[in-house]
Amino acid sequence: MSKNYFDETHCAIGHPKSTFMQWMLTIDHKRIGIMYAAVMFTFFFVAVFVALAMRLELFAPGAQYMDGDTFNQAFTLHGVIMIFLFIIPGIPAIFGNIVMPLMIGAKDVSFPRLNWFTFWLYIAGCIIALASLFIGEGVADTGWTFYAPYSMQTGTNVIMALVAAFVLGFASILTGLNFLVTIHRLRAPGMTFFKMPLFVWGIYATAWIQLLATPVVGITLVLAILEKYFGIGIFDPAKGGDPVLFQHLFWIYSHPAVYLMILPAFGIMSEIIPTFSRKEVFGYRTIALSSASIAGIGYLVWGHHLYTSGMSDIAKSVFSFLTFFVAIPTGVKFYDWVATMYQGKIVLKAPMMWALGTIITFAIGGITGVTITMIGADIHLQDTYYTVAHFHYAILAGVVWLLFAGMHYWFPLVTGRMYDDVKAKMAFYIQFIGFNLLWFPMFIAGYYGMPRRYFDYLPEFEVYHQIAFVGGVMTLVGMVYMFWIFYKGWTSGEKATPNPWGATTLEWHLPTSPPPLENHSKVPYVDFDPYEYHHGEPVVKFNYETMQRID
Amino acid sequence: MDTNTVNYQEEKKVYYKVLVGLLLLTAVTFVQPHMFLAESTFLAQMLIAVVKAYLILIYYMHLKGEKLIGAMVWFALALVTVFFVIVIGIDVSHFQFGAESHITAPAAN
Amino acid sequence: MGHEYVPEIATDRDGNQHEVQGWQGDFYGGKLGFWLFMLTEVMMFGAMFLALAYYNSLHGQDFIDASATLNRWLGGFNTVILLISALTMGLGLLKMRAGDVKGAKLMIWATIILAAIFLGVKAVEWTMEYNHGIFLMHDKLLPESSLPFGQKLFFGLYFSMTGLHGFHIIIGIGIMLWLLKRINAGKVTPEHHILHWNIALYWDIVHLIWVFVFPYFYMIGAGGATGGH
Repeated sequence: MSKNYFDETHCAIGHPKSTFMQWMLTIDHKRIGIMYAAVMFTFFFVAVFVALAMRLELFAPGAQYMDGDTFNQAFTLHGVIMIFLFIIPGIPAIFGNIVMPLMIGAKDVSFPRLNWFTFWLYIAGCIIALASLFIGEGVADTGWTFYAPYSMQTGTNVIMALVAAFVLGFASILTGLNFLVTIHRLRAPGMTFFKMPLFVWGIYATAWIQLLATPVVGITLVLAILEKYFGIGIFDPAKGGDPVLFQHLFWIYSHPAVYLMILPAFGIMSEIIPTFSRKEVFGYRTIALSSASIAGIGYLVWGHHLYTSGMSDIAKSVFSFLTFFVAIPTGVKFYDWVATMYQGKIVLKAPMMWALGTIITFAIGGITGVTITMIGADIHLQDTYYTVAHFHYAILAGVVWLLFAGMHYWFPLVTGRMYDDVKAKMAFYIQFIGFNLLWFPMFIAGYYGMPRRYFDYLPEFEVYHQIAFVGGVMTLVGMVYMFWIFYKGWTSGEKATPNPWGATTLEWHLPTSPPPLENHSKVPYVDFDPYEYHHGEPVVKFNYETMQRID
Repeated sequence: MDTNTVNYQEEKKVYYKVLVGLLLLTAVTFVQPHMFLAESTFLAQMLIAVVKAYLILIYYMHLKGEKLIGAMVWFALALVTVFFVIVIGIDVSHFQFGAESHITAPAAN
Repeated sequence: MGHEYVPEIATDRDGNQHEVQGWQGDFYGGKLGFWLFMLTEVMMFGAMFLALAYYNSLHGQDFIDASATLNRWLGGFNTVILLISALTMGLGLLKMRAGDVKGAKLMIWATIILAAIFLGVKAVEWTMEYNHGIFLMHDKLLPESSLPFGQKLFFGLYFSMTGLHGFHIIIGIGIMLWLLKRINAGKVTPEHHILHWNIALYWDIVHLIWVFVFPYFYMIGAGGATGGH
């Protein structure tokens, strides 16, 4: 029986014999991706529980079992974990690592030892962030945005959170750097940029954001630390400093960060839709170029997070215009996906259910974002539950759901087994309904004036919070059920073939499932487009030992 | 750039020429405030710095002849410049609340 | 690992052979990766220049006044030192590529010494400033001092930026010492010198940042009373 990547591995230091040390020191991109997933989802559930604790507190007005300060720490912790520890490493750390090199026919990323180092840098950042829970006055209570001047004045562990975010940001930069060089250098012979799968395009555009936007928040965090410790004055009005400068510097990164989150997710959508429509993707070039333009224009729109901060009207108008503009490439993608499905043979398996569900919910998330792009509307809706619902529709029911879709899609690739599809679809439905129950009422509550990050509220908002709590519990049940299905699938599911979905991209043309350590037996010559289907069947066929085409 | 065929004398000459250029430019930065463009010292100094940076990038960092990397450098520089232009240029020149602001009112200084 | 690597060959349907670029022994990839890393450094310092330019636009005269108090001669001396160190670093790389490993090591040592001199002069400067009451959390930079806003911000950013720059110089000295170790261990050779190449690039970017830091902080206050924008 031939070996796969679970049986053998390459290590950064030496040739350890124990399985544990082999995992600790592995430089194999597939194993590193799995380790990222394991750690990230652990933290994800911690943050989910913190959120549910908040929902429980907010079930009724008044203080039940949390005081205001603890509540502030709770939403900060939730935000810091979800953003810096989970969603920003996100899809690139997991599927960028596992799948992207396979898709371009490479044997690993360009700098595998750097990849290993980056993973442990990420772990160091997580430890620092977590340590802030147990030291001194506990987790920061500033919100994950750490706005000056409060972050300069509070006694809670802002510095630790900033250091953690810096370290995690550095890990993100190094991942982006690694992927950029990999995509430029290690594509199989014949694979031009416009023959790459769209997921690789997504990772490529994301890598540019990881590389050029993250340093700005890195230095902002350093400046905040210098301000807090050494009083350099740049955010301190007592010395002429401008706290709004912090907001600008912070959002110069944090807005591109959301594109960093969604572009790989859109890449996953672009993989799933053609495979489960048994049809070539419609508008390959426009989807590819829209990823690049979202990344590019996305650098210029950060001001829409601070319309109410006292910017000049001209600046507000510029940012508003550019924000409307950046929605267009996303719209193009949506039209292309729907056009791909048109007259295709739709296969409604679990990955496709997640993709379709996301099309609905991300459309809501995106369009509600456009609402608050309007400066006038934003005056009313800024910092209300409307905003919170908007970004959860976009990030949770956009990015995270597409991450789930990717997990359902690439599960047989990674594990060599298949999960129960019927149960997986049930988990999807539970989460779909739960999610909408949890978040849709918040649009209404926000419109009627319910502010975000508030520990208490007027009685007129109570019904929205109650519905949301029910939705939250349902969502959690669905998520836990989904992971249970994955667990059962991995441990006792049916063995999968290397290409159970009949897909066309190179990661499905490996000789074994799970893949061998060195990926493809031989690197193929790529003289075909990534999504060639004919009458619902893939055109390109390979001999998996020689990787020569036999069609 | 083939790094195995090294024209040692050629490249050494280039290094020294650039050194002289940079030293001259450094001298110019010292005399500029007294000699020319004295009303716009900031602009003049930044221009000289840009010329120095160009020499360093092209010759010391071997950017001349690097197509892909050169394109990436231009992209990053364009991004930095745009941040300056949008945040500094547009926003600050239309500072609407200068009168109310604690940090800009002349009396507070 | 990089020395025994044999690239794979992919054959297309016409029988033509194409060499596959692997991740091992990829000189261009190593260069590309390091350039990308340097772009992140540019973004970091760029954001600091953004903050600097912002406060400069609010407090033009204060910035000029504060700049005039800095010691231009020490700053200029350091500029020349760093300039020469960029030459020595470049010559060191050139010698390595041409096969003169001994000469290369000498040049690296020269660079290290020049870097140390730079740091020494910086320490002298900072001490002088401290003695004039200008230092972080000290005397004139405390909130209660009567120094104008613009000057406080100027000096706050001065110490931050020259401090971070100096930190990068210290790191540079560290990696140059490590480079010498790798050369002695035979891991960096005229045939396999990507590490040396990248470290030279790193030193050039450190120099590049100073090319902008120096005039912005030291020179805008030179010349007459109005000598600014």
